[in-house]
Amino acid sequence: MSETNNNFSELKRLLKLKQHEVPPPGYFNRFSGDVISRIRAGESGGTQTILEQYGSGSVLTHLLQIFHAKPGIIGGFATSLCLLLLIGVVLADRPDGTSVADETIVAPTVPGDSSSMIAQTGLLPPSDSGITISSNSPIHSLQAMPGMFGSQQNPLFQTVGFMQPAQ
Amino acid sequence: MLTMSEPATVPDPNSPANMLEADLVRHARRGDLKAYDELVRRYQERIYATIYHMTANHEDTNDLAQESFIKAYTALKSFKGGSSFYTWLYRIAVNKTINFLKQRRNKHHLSLNDMDFNAEHDPDLVALISDKTPHRDVNLSELQKKLNEALLKLSEPHRMVVVLHDVQGVSHEEIAEVLGCNIGTVRSRLFYARQQLQGYLAEYLKS
Repeated sequence: MSETNNNFSELKRLLKLKQHEVPPPGYFNRFSGDVISRIRAGESGGTQTILEQYGSGSVLTHLLQIFHAKPGIIGGFATSLCLLLLIGVVLADRPDGTSVADETIVAPTVPGDSSSMIAQTGLLPPSDSGITISSNSPIHSLQAMPGMFGSQQNPLFQTVGFMQPAQ
Repeated sequence: MLTMSEPATVPDPNSPANMLEADLVRHARRGDLKAYDELVRRYQERIYATIYHMTANHEDTNDLAQESFIKAYTALKSFKGGSSFYTWLYRIAVNKTINFLKQRRNKHHLSLNDMDFNAEHDPDLVALISDKTPHRDVNLSELQKKLNEALLKLSEPHRMVVVLHDVQGVSHEEIAEVLGCNIGTVRSRLFYARQQLQGYLAEYLKS
């Protein structure tokens, strides 16, 4: 029994080591503020609508309070922003969906207008017929075009406009 | 010769720092967060210490301590004043910690705090460390790790009485009130827990 008591004395001395364990410096200076911030965030999030929540104070102040209370939200918020940016870049880089055939077919029509009817059928008059067709949509032609000095120019594509002669 | 003495600073009785616990609780129940902030400041170190000695993990302790205070605030209306606010708060923290540890049974992850400067100069600790060992600071870290590992081997109720009594100096009567048991139960748990710890730490307790 005396040996047990003696060992318990040593055990108690060893347990005193636990009293020397301390949290990081400044921890307790911030602790109460963190608790109060979380209480405030919980109070406002549970009972108010979004307008009521942000109407009386700046949105930035509320955001900072929530971030301060729950630092993990910052990571999620930043990740969401990056994802939105990435989606925007991917969507912006997508090519336009229209084609040359579509441009020809969808030219605006006017009743009785032969040029519009031709435009609807997709058939274009030969260039030397004297007939020109007006169109709101530029037509991109892949045919080789005569150059200024008689040489054939073959650009990848060029804009071709047609004007209807006065009758 | 007349001398003008500086007017003595009179403490503001309405300042939360100078208010009695009962007054702070009354204000906090009405939604006065400044009053509750003062209550947190008064008890944060003791609540933190109890939870930390039970979990041996600073991050878990931080979460549990914050949640204990938040729960106490939301439950203030149910605090009837039968015990002191501190005892009531302590009970919330203890129950929350024990429930947390039961859910994570046998899945302990040590995240130990550093020891303060005075640890190396504590005569009780110095007496435990052999003077033949050249690196006393290493031995202190080893002792800290072994001690925390040994405590984690105890069941939660046994660990709690050792932490409250032998580490934090809480009386048997107050422990009984916090844990909701009688003093005899506290004493028997304490004896059994000390015997267990003695076995786990026999290597470090040789005189």
